[in-house]
Amino acid sequence: MTLRALLVTLRNVFRRPVTWEFPRSVRPRPERYRTGFALLRDEHGEELCIGCLACEKICPSAILHVKAAPKRESAVTGKKRGWAEDLTIDTVACLGCELCVQVCPTDALVMTRAPERPADHREELFLTMAKLYENGLAREHGWATGTKLMGMQEDEDKKKKRKDKEVAA
Amino acid sequence: MMALLMGGLVGVVALTSILTATALGIWFERKLSARMQTRLGPTIVGPFGLLQPIADFLKLLQKETLIPDGADRLLFVVAGPFCIFLALATAAFVPISPDTGLGLDSGLIFVVAFGAITVIPIWMAGWASRNKWALLGGMRAVAQAVSYAVPLVLAALVPVLLAGTLSLDGIVAAQQGFHWFALWPTFPGLPAFVLYLGCLLAEANRIPFDIPEAESELVAGITTEYTGMRFGFFYLAEYVHTLVGSAVAATLFLGGWDGPIAPGLHWLVAKTLVLYTVIYWIRWSFLRLRADQLMSLCWRYLVPAGLGLVFAAAALAQVMP
Amino acid sequence: MTTPARNHLATYEPEGDLMTLNYGPQHPSTHGVLRIKLVLDGERIVEADPHVGYLHRGVEKLAERLSYVQLTPVFDKNDYVAPMTNEQALVMAFEKLLAIEVPARARHLRALLGELGRIASHLLWLGTFTLDLGGALGGGSTQFIYCFRERELILDLFEALTGVRFHYNAHTIGGNRHDVPAGWAAAVEAALDQIAARVPEYRGMSVENGIFVARTRGVGVLPAELALGLGITGPNLRASGVDHDLRRDAPYHVFDAVPVKVITRKEGDCLARTHVRLEELEESLRLCRLLVGTLPEGPICGARPVKQPAQFKIPAGQAYAAIESPRGELGTWVVAAGGPSPHRLKIRAPSLHALSALPHILPGHTFSDAVAILGSLDPIMGEVDR
Repeated sequence: MTLRALLVTLRNVFRRPVTWEFPRSVRPRPERYRTGFALLRDEHGEELCIGCLACEKICPSAILHVKAAPKRESAVTGKKRGWAEDLTIDTVACLGCELCVQVCPTDALVMTRAPERPADHREELFLTMAKLYENGLAREHGWATGTKLMGMQEDEDKKKKRKDKEVAA
Repeated sequence: MMALLMGGLVGVVALTSILTATALGIWFERKLSARMQTRLGPTIVGPFGLLQPIADFLKLLQKETLIPDGADRLLFVVAGPFCIFLALATAAFVPISPDTGLGLDSGLIFVVAFGAITVIPIWMAGWASRNKWALLGGMRAVAQAVSYAVPLVLAALVPVLLAGTLSLDGIVAAQQGFHWFALWPTFPGLPAFVLYLGCLLAEANRIPFDIPEAESELVAGITTEYTGMRFGFFYLAEYVHTLVGSAVAATLFLGGWDGPIAPGLHWLVAKTLVLYTVIYWIRWSFLRLRADQLMSLCWRYLVPAGLGLVFAAAALAQVMP
Repeated sequence: MTTPARNHLATYEPEGDLMTLNYGPQHPSTHGVLRIKLVLDGERIVEADPHVGYLHRGVEKLAERLSYVQLTPVFDKNDYVAPMTNEQALVMAFEKLLAIEVPARARHLRALLGELGRIASHLLWLGTFTLDLGGALGGGSTQFIYCFRERELILDLFEALTGVRFHYNAHTIGGNRHDVPAGWAAAVEAALDQIAARVPEYRGMSVENGIFVARTRGVGVLPAELALGLGITGPNLRASGVDHDLRRDAPYHVFDAVPVKVITRKEGDCLARTHVRLEELEESLRLCRLLVGTLPEGPICGARPVKQPAQFKIPAGQAYAAIESPRGELGTWVVAAGGPSPHRLKIRAPSLHALSALPHILPGHTFSDAVAILGSLDPIMGEVDR
């Protein structure tokens, strides 16, 4: 029934086109959509990043570079804590694996739902610390933070049991 | 002198209108194929994307045209314009309205001849490119075009026998009053029409017979080494050939400019458009035949069918007044 | 230097002048960067010699430097069409060495993601196969767009689960990284319904189409002994009559409890492979419906989530874990030496074995058949070259 192909094509003429005319119209993106990066501040405006370098160590592409600053007191709590002097992400080689978000102990590094990864100039793909903090304020964040991801994979009971076991050992 | 100038003016008008029709045809095909694939097609350039063929043309003009090292320069350069010349020249013979027409006694011979000579620039492109892909495409094109010319002529002979003249004006005149050959007599008429359409697909290198330019197999077939406007000539020539071939098929089998009410150019345009749509509907639905399957289809099925139809038409012509 | 082709078909005696043609690596239909050096007599192939390695990225060497927890996003890119099964084969080998038990929900979710990936992969295969047969400007591209339109539904499901459409890093040692969001099961059912409704259209444009059948029937027959001798697995093997499927014969995830219908054909030609893949697509639709309806509650990860690169130090040992990917048996063989990185990691890629059949089955066919045969074997150069 070779002519069946003609009927299939004809039938599809009358279906609604599935094209999204980007960038005039953008398809609805799910909650967990992730593409760019941002650094966050806490509710008092102080940087959450403590310069622990966990993200730099875990990145498989080695695109995160963190320069830790010497410990000094926090303006909010008065206690000594770590800081990051500089944190840059070269998203040219980013795999989008979300491991850096997962390992962050203070939920400072998150992914955003914008901007789109493709850029017009190579410099736009190299995110400086200033750009990251600007993204933190200007861009819509992705759903995932370190706490949420860890919580999804290991619930509170298990975490408590593990911590108890480590303390006992 | 005056006649020469008038002739030149008519020629320019005719060329412009055919090329505009081709540009619109390209736009129409892109929109049609897009809708068949549930997508939108050109929308940005001009309203509804109507200026897209102009944009493509301008893009092709500004590309670098290069000739491969060691290629046969004369044949390489001449092939493209020669191809489009043949495609456009065939349009002169199609009677467009009851009053105009070339008035040639044997217009059909010219049409078939020009269509058959088209294989020469295609082969020239394949040979002169000094590229194995182009060579394979060119060789396949020769085999295909030469073979499918036979059932094409046999199918075209059916309206000739039924009308009693080789002149295209005469064939249209014999179909006046809605006596289109594809509808009546239905026995040799309709199968001959279908056969003619199939051979037109083969002559114009359209799927399912597009092996000379089969770009999933032969990179780009005969046009592999062509860039810029030189490629544009072949690209344009394909569409012109399809458009003019549809017009010729409409003339031979569907009555040309004839219609139930107010016969004229608009009927020819409508019929050509319908055939053009059918050809592209087939193109965007089917896969291509392999070269040997194509040849066996031609010589084992189409040629005997064509011969049978010619005998039937001849017998009918003897019996009918 | 071409090796003489051991042709299992009747030996074709060439006449006339022979022409050497490079089919690839720049070619619209070599399914990635593959070069096949063909010796043609007119249009008949006399010898075929595949050259691979154009997409070699040194992934196995990279595995010796990165730690176990960093490897999943990198190995996603091997078989880039079905990333889920890549990750699963990898972490299964590590879990074997560490003797970690993966919780039931994670195993169930892994099976579901693997089968959804199989549907997506077979849809892509069908689209690109008809694209090869029909051309980018023609009927092939119509089928291609249809298949990709439905594939988008599955990619949307994965995006709702993980946040990215492709290359998910959805697995970790011990389980999965993302749990199912609210409403996902309903979305899966809706997508499966829509794909199931379109399968008759795919059949109408492929296996029921006379031109498709004429192009694929009797073309590229792969004898069963040759396939077994070369280590070919997956749909290519099953289309040649050998009844072997890892999901039934060496079950993993939940396939010891969930029976899988294994589809075989006898002829071993391109048409048989098309039938096998189409029916596997339908079987996967059924499996996905079953799995998404019976997802058990529980944790999704049985080990500690990734926090540091040197989190898992695997003592000396070796393990091999294999999974039935859409292309065949995808296996990971890992040699651990006590550190946080493997000592050696090798991927057994099914497409490489499929490509090794080409010098045997191509001679005697015309060049158009070579395109069809290569397409029907479904090679993905990412996993061939790694």
